[in-house]
Amino acid sequence: MEQIKPPRPDSYLALAIISTIICCLPIGIVSIVYATKVNSLYADGNYDEAIRASKNAKTWGLVSVGVAVVGLLIYILIFGVAIFGALSNGNF
Amino acid sequence: MVISKLKLSIIIIGVLTFLGMLALYIFWNPTETNIFPKCPVYGVTGIYCPGCGSQRAAHKILNGNIFEGIRHNYLIGLLGLVLSYQAFMFIMNNVLQKGIVNLLHKSKVTMGILVIVILFWILRNINLFPFTELAP
Repeated sequence: MEQIKPPRPDSYLALAIISTIICCLPIGIVSIVYATKVNSLYADGNYDEAIRASKNAKTWGLVSVGVAVVGLLIYILIFGVAIFGALSNGNF
Repeated sequence: MVISKLKLSIIIIGVLTFLGMLALYIFWNPTETNIFPKCPVYGVTGIYCPGCGSQRAAHKILNGNIFEGIRHNYLIGLLGLVLSYQAFMFIMNNVLQKGIVNLLHKSKVTMGILVIVILFWILRNINLFPFTELAP
């Protein structure tokens, strides 16, 4: 009996690579692992698990990008503003 | 397509943040100012992570020194390749309706990318000549 193939879930590979590069915490690697799982599970016909791996890849990718961006913004707001202040006062 | 107000505001905030950070990285050199954080992984462990060097790379690339920038973090080159390949496949299959097999859907290719990233991570921490090129 042939099963009808459901559409391929997105592997979010590009998001995973972006999160690996911009995020200093190597959570992005986890996202790449899930992206790899999506393709191999889909190729093996485990469609439900492929969809789950796809969701995991997306979540981990977004979390690591989010953590990186929020951390960066907080850092710039705290230290950057202080340094800008010092620069404009000429006390550098 | 209906986009909820929440999603729309998240997108707008995201775009504004992105543009703001782009401006920061264009005008300030991370090696000369302290407004950007140092990599926490490097700070705590002394090990270069796969993302180290990306801020310096972003500054150089945004100022036009593409090759000098990529030398700080070769993964940006990999990202460029993957993104342009995805854009190419999108145009081929969704706009021109060609139905070409996307290599990035093959598990061996994604596995290869994972291996490349992990190898890159290990090799850039080896303090010997050919590998020092990979260090940020």
